[in-house]
Amino acid sequence: MGKTILTAKHITKLFPGMKALDDVDFDLQEGEVHILVGENGAGKSTLSKIILGAYKAEEGEITLDGEPIVIQGTKDALERGIAAVYQENSLVPYLDASQNIFLNREPRTKLGFLDLKKMKHDAEELLKTLNCEYIDVTKPVSSLSVAEQQMVEIAKALSFNPRIIVFDEPTSSLSEREVDSLFKQIHRLKAEGLGIIYVSHRMQEFPLIGDRITVLRDGKKIATVGINDCTNNELVKMMVGRDVSQVYVRNQTDFNEEALKVEHLCDFDGRVNDISFNVRKGEIVGLAGLVGAGRTETAELIYGIRPIKSGDVTVFGKKADLKNATNAVALGIGLISEDRKTQGLALSESIAQNTVAVSLNKIFPNFFINMNKIREIAKDYTNKLRIMTTSVDKKTRFLSGGNQQKVVLAKWLSYDPDILIFDEPTRGIDVGAKMEIYNLMDRMASEGKAIIMISSELPEVIGMSDRIYIMQEGSIVGEVHRGDDNFNQEKIGELMMLGTGGANE
Amino acid sequence: MKNLWQSIKESRAFYSLIGLVVLVIASSIIAPSFRTVNNMITIFRQASLLLILSSGLTAVLLTGTMDLSVGATAGFVGCVVAQLIKHDMNVAVATLIGLLIGVVIGLINGTLAGILPGFIATYGTNWVIAGLGIVVMQGAVIYDLPPAFTQLGVGYLGAIPNLVIFASVVVLILYILLSNTTLGRKIYQYGSNPVAAKYAAMPTRRVVLSAFVICSVCAAFAGMLMTARLNAADAAMGDTYGLQTVAAAVIGGTSQKGGEGGVLGTIAGALILTIVVNIMNLTGIPSQAQGLVIGSVIIIMVLIDTITRKRQESKMN
Ligand SMILES: Nc1ncnc2c1ncn2[C@@H]1O[C@H](COP(=O)(O)OP(=O)(O)OP(=O)(O)O)[C@@H](O)[C@H]1O
Ligand SMILES: [Mg+2]
Repeated sequence: MGKTILTAKHITKLFPGMKALDDVDFDLQEGEVHILVGENGAGKSTLSKIILGAYKAEEGEITLDGEPIVIQGTKDALERGIAAVYQENSLVPYLDASQNIFLNREPRTKLGFLDLKKMKHDAEELLKTLNCEYIDVTKPVSSLSVAEQQMVEIAKALSFNPRIIVFDEPTSSLSEREVDSLFKQIHRLKAEGLGIIYVSHRMQEFPLIGDRITVLRDGKKIATVGINDCTNNELVKMMVGRDVSQVYVRNQTDFNEEALKVEHLCDFDGRVNDISFNVRKGEIVGLAGLVGAGRTETAELIYGIRPIKSGDVTVFGKKADLKNATNAVALGIGLISEDRKTQGLALSESIAQNTVAVSLNKIFPNFFINMNKIREIAKDYTNKLRIMTTSVDKKTRFLSGGNQQKVVLAKWLSYDPDILIFDEPTRGIDVGAKMEIYNLMDRMASEGKAIIMISSELPEVIGMSDRIYIMQEGSIVGEVHRGDDNFNQEKIGELMMLGTGGANE
Repeated sequence: MKNLWQSIKESRAFYSLIGLVVLVIASSIIAPSFRTVNNMITIFRQASLLLILSSGLTAVLLTGTMDLSVGATAGFVGCVVAQLIKHDMNVAVATLIGLLIGVVIGLINGTLAGILPGFIATYGTNWVIAGLGIVVMQGAVIYDLPPAFTQLGVGYLGAIPNLVIFASVVVLILYILLSNTTLGRKIYQYGSNPVAAKYAAMPTRRVVLSAFVICSVCAAFAGMLMTARLNAADAAMGDTYGLQTVAAAVIGGTSQKGGEGGVLGTIAGALILTIVVNIMNLTGIPSQAQGLVIGSVIIIMVLIDTITRKRQESKMN
């Protein structure tokens, strides 16, 4: 490993009513991937943003190549060669990928006009290095999937040719194939001598790319360790401050009554083609597939939020007429959507208000609400899901990413529907809380609820599901049952890739 | 106590409340007559119609849309009710019809705002309603309404003008409606993130419609009080209120983007506007020049609000 590029010493960052970082030291060397871990709200993104000039620390000092520097803002950081892939989507939705990548530094022709050809070409080249040539760089990014947008963000960060890159949970919305392409790039950058700060909750990734790990807890630095100097269990204990069992608990019961039956379902965009499957009471059914396989779209059809072109949805034996989400919820169907910022949360509303967003009429059938009751319900869930906050009256805008995700879960868990679709439920959630969510899912199933789980993390789909349907390009290409020989990562992974040749989605 | 202070400071009404306090102190110094009880009552009476109109508009603004037709609605309903009463209709029945017209206008505005941007839709209905007002009046002005009706606008309950009492009741109802009912919560949630509201299975159309109906009914009520107060009806009488209403709500800190703000701030906004006008009258600034001052106050308050919000947001990202 090379020399030290960047150090941050005695960093303290205050937010109203709390210390997000408390006297934290951090350093980064050439050619290393330095991983930041910790529970949701531990201060990982805050530390990253200070290094990126997005936040100003109240105390502390930063050096670059041994020289003390004051970073004046994100633009200043970029000029010094520090780029980032932020945890939250930072793309301009109505611009296309090439315009986003070269925003404010568009290539010009000799006459001073935008050189659209070069922009398109360069954007395509960048995405090609990430094996994402299938992304149309001329479509507004809002029409891309969450994963595709994430790859555009990564391409954008790489396009600055930085010396330091901060990746804040870059893989939380990606499936294995995109993760592979990203890791290949990270290895290349490492070999070129860049310093990389990498934030993630996916521990299986650490040995693949990491060199050192720094653990944060409650804004304090607990330790910095070499990647091989510490077991997973030790790491978790440092993060959470207690032992957390890391096994999936699945108390299966008998399934008999069919809760949901889907027959020959198609949408108008060709993203879902002739899908048929069923879920029984007490059962957890997984939908596995690559990004773009049509899992989220299928969920949205069942939830009534995406128009159905043809096919039938039967709920508890009755044909359902799904025109909107209100119909679906009336039938007992719920959807925990994958995109917390646009679909999941009202960011200017408090944790408490978001928690009861679906349940309002159920809790208060008499029109008048009682704020104290709302707070009580929210407090119950902040405890259960370990949502880190100073108060349930805090606006969700001010929560860390993982804690926001937990509020979205709380919203649906408190409503307690009979059929609940979890779309990427653990995205951005720390290990401790993940186990809590798995336990909750298991408990719901034991109570006779029917659960559909969509996740890009194959281990968790396999760990929790009783049955898994494998999807590819909008169709179901396989079904595996718990206990069968092919109910493992390797076989399911093969089915997911089969016939795609690994080429397009 | 600390929590209360914190939440006041975080609330969007904060700057308008401070503005109001500063204004009251400054006015007391500039114009000693400002401090008299009589003048205070006058201010509240002058503010009452604006309070009713802008509290209603707050519901629409919170959903993230706009209603530019409140002035015209007020004028139109005032005229219709005056005509009905002139044609010997019972005052109670006429008032009820006036409120019903408010409901209908709200439904039309709300439906249109579901298809077009609310700003444009209601800019259109504003002209249509104003035109209808002229048709109803046949170009004339109505005078001399029966005391049973005018009493609503000119009467007193003890030392307090009826108008002030009506305004207080309306403001209180709206406050409760917006912050203590499921409908109010939905209005805020929808305004904060319409997409998330849809995903939360909210009947979003109905929520927006309700907000517009609330707004137009308030406008209709204000229009009738206006007629009663003037003891006359004229198709153009609501015109000056159109922009003032928007201004009062916006000065009060209700975000034009929706989801943030509330009646409390709007009260402050309406009082600020009224006091500015009052103080200009007391100091003898000619009415022609008053628009200049009002406009400047609007711009300053909205600037302060926008800048502080930008700063807050850049802290987060
Ligand atoms: N703009 C802000 N205003 C107020 N508090 C904030 C703000 N940003 C972050 N915080 C608080 O600071 C703490 C640390 O947040 P941070 O985003 O750094 O956590 P994190 O470690 O990245 O968590 P996650 O794994 O959930 O992304 C959290 O408790 C959060 O609520
Ligand atoms: Mg974070």
